[in-house]
This record gives sequence, C-alpha cells and structure tokens, in this order.
Amino acid sequence: MLHLLVLAAEAVEAEQKNPILPDVAELIYGGLAFVIVFAVLWKFAFPVLGRMLEERTAKIQADLEGAERARTEAERELAEYRRQLAGAREEASQIIEEARRTADQLRRELQARAEQEAQGIVARAQEEIRAERDRVFQELRAQVGAIAVELAGRVVGRSLDAESHQRLIEEYLDQVARSGNGKRG
Amino acid sequence: MLAAILGLSRPPEGFHAPGTEIFDYTKTCLIGSGPYCVTRVTFWMLMSTVIIVTVFLLAVRRASIVPRGLQNAIEALVDFVRNGIVLEVIGREGLPFVPFLTTLFVFIWVNNLYGILPFINFPTTSRVAIPMLLAILVWFVFNITGIVKQGGLRYLKNTLFIPGVPKALYVLLTPIEFVTVFLVRPLTLAVRLTANMIAGHLMLTIFFVGTWYLQWKLITIPFAALSFALGTFITAFEVLVGVLQAYIFTILTAVYIAGAIHPEH
Repeated sequence: MLHLLVLAAEAVEAEQKNPILPDVAELIYGGLAFVIVFAVLWKFAFPVLGRMLEERTAKIQADLEGAERARTEAERELAEYRRQLAGAREEASQIIEEARRTADQLRRELQARAEQEAQGIVARAQEEIRAERDRVFQELRAQVGAIAVELAGRVVGRSLDAESHQRLIEEYLDQVARSGNGKRG
Repeated sequence: MLAAILGLSRPPEGFHAPGTEIFDYTKTCLIGSGPYCVTRVTFWMLMSTVIIVTVFLLAVRRASIVPRGLQNAIEALVDFVRNGIVLEVIGREGLPFVPFLTTLFVFIWVNNLYGILPFINFPTTSRVAIPMLLAILVWFVFNITGIVKQGGLRYLKNTLFIPGVPKALYVLLTPIEFVTVFLVRPLTLAVRLTANMIAGHLMLTIFFVGTWYLQWKLITIPFAALSFALGTFITAFEVLVGVLQAYIFTILTAVYIAGAIHPEH
C-alpha cells in the first residue's frame, strides 16, 4: 500500500510518466471495449452456447439411458432364452426317457406274446402228433384184428403140421413186418 | 548486418537501455486529436472488442450439437471457465457468472496476447487502465453479490467477523479482514496483472533492442544472437504468462464471488 502511494506520488511529480497511474482516455476506451464485448457475448453468444451445452447434455444423457435400456432388455431376453433352452433340454430328455420306456415295454410285450405263440405252436404240434399216433394205433389195431381173423381162417382151412405151422407163422410175421415197414416208410 | 538489409545505415552512438518511457510514447494520437484521441493503445483496446465479438459470433453461427471448428474451440473455452473455474470454485450457484467470467478471461487474454503479436507488440494490459477498471468492476460484482445473496448487514458481518473465531481475536482480525477484502483485493488484482505485463514487455524490448544494437559490429554479433535467442524464449514465455495472468485474474474473481455467496468459506 505505502509503496504504491509513494509510487503514485512520484508519478504525479514525473508528470504522469509513471505507468502505475491510469490514463483517462484509456479508462474510457478500455471500459467501453469491455462493456461492448460483455454485452454482445451476453446477448448473442452465451444463449446459443448455453443451449448447445444443455442440448448436448440432454442428448448424451438420453443416449446413455437408451443404451442402458437396450442392455437391460437384451440381458432380460438372454435370460429368457437361456430359461427356454433349459426347458427344451429338460423336455427332450423326458421325451427320450419316455420313448425308451415305451420301447422297453413294447419289446417285453412282443417277447411275451412270441413265447406264448411258440408254446401254443408246440402244444398244437404235440396234440397233432398224439392224435396221429392214436389214429395209427386205432388203424393198426383194426388191421391186426383183421389179420388175426384171416390168419385164423387160414389156420382152420389147412391142417397144419408143426413144421408148416412154423412156416406159416414166419410167413405171416414177414408179411406183417413188410406191411409194417412199408407203412412206416 | 540485419540493419543494413533493412536500410538503416548508421549505428547509434552508445546504448540507451529502454525504460518506462516505452510505455509513454503510446500517447501519440493515431485517430483524432486532443487528450481523448485514439492512440495506439486505445486503438488495440477497441480492436479487442472487434476480435472477440467476431470470433464468438462466427463460432455460434450455425451452431450444432456436434460442434466443429471454431465452435469447438469456443465451447472448449467456455467449458474451461464453466467446469474448471466456476463449478470448481463456486459450485452450481456460480453458473450465472459464467458469461461474466468468460468475458473477463477472454478480454484479458487477448489484451495480454497483444504483447507478442507481430506488428502490435504491446500488451494493452501493461497500461494500468484496463486492469484497474476490471478490478474495480470485480470489486462491485462480488460486493453486490454478497449483499444480494446474504443481505447487506449479514454480508458485512460475515465478512468482517469471520464465524467460528474467538471473540477476542476480532480486535485483530476485523481490521485485517476489512483491509484485505475491500482494499487489497482490487489493488492486488490490478497490480499483479499490470506489473506482469510491464515486466514481460520490458524484457522483450530490452532483448530485442539489445539484439538490434549488438549486431552492428562483427565482434558483438554472437551476443546479438544470444540476445535474440533469449528474446525468442521470453516471447514463448509471454504466451504462457498471458494466459496464466488472465486465468489468475478470473479464478481470483471466482474465489471472491464464492466468498460472497458462501459466508462459511
């Protein structure tokens, strides 16, 4: 302060040669210059600059919010897809399991039926064999009876000695065996 | 050698170091006559208006959300004042002061920059008028802000009687605060800026006049080269000083306004 006052006093003595004292014209023109700059910028430049700043802020904010929304949406959809995928997988394995069970059951049923059928066939064949045998047996008995009767007739018709008797029996047996052999093929 | 090329034929007799008179010859009238004529200094003061207004209006002409070219530069500047000074120092209540502080910054900056602009070569802020005027303006701005925001008495009370200090200390602190806030603040603002620009201009003048003086004799030419190199370095330094002083003036103004808005700080 004191220093400045001294300077100022010296300046006055030096006929305003000291640069620390202002020139009145410079005060006026300098002040005018500043006032004009401030007025014009205040009126024309700053409203536009401020608006730009606000618009940009709003736009960036909106963009960011939009991006955030899109991201949330995408994440939600991804989770949904994942959930669906897991469900589908579960369902697929269930279907496979069921198919396997069905096939198994079917196989068992078919097997049982086939076995049953086979048993049926065997039983029928045995039945048939038994019937055939009975029939043959029946037939044979009838033939044996007839042969016996014939043989008796022959025996009665010829007086046989022991030797011819024996021959007769052997002939007969041969005949029977032949006819039996022929029948049996 | 250089002078010979320029057509200056006769070397000067003896070296006269430039002093404060280099700030005085600017009183020669350029336009008009009398004590209020337009001199070289006042002409460039007025031209700063044309320069700043033109640049700003060109920048906001066809302004778009996606800025380009000049709009980008000016927006960066306003953004620097808005975010770097106002929001940082004052906070959101300071936003109405962005136009004022930006104008202050740009106006001081351009008038500082004159010191190193070719063919102008004179910082108009090295004349005390503009810094003094702006300092007084700032004084009114922060005091009126304080009165409007806090009320006259409360502002005075909060300024002179700092809250949270033992009562006995007020005997000591109140006079100091009074001198600091109401007298020293504008004085330091004005003197800091003016003195810096005077010093810069003096240094530039001395080194370039020295270069001119030393290049007449072959034997002193190396010193002329050295003087020229130093002058060039100081020119670059003055670019920094110019923007730094504008920034200091603006940020101190913001600090004073902040103090007027928030009494607790």
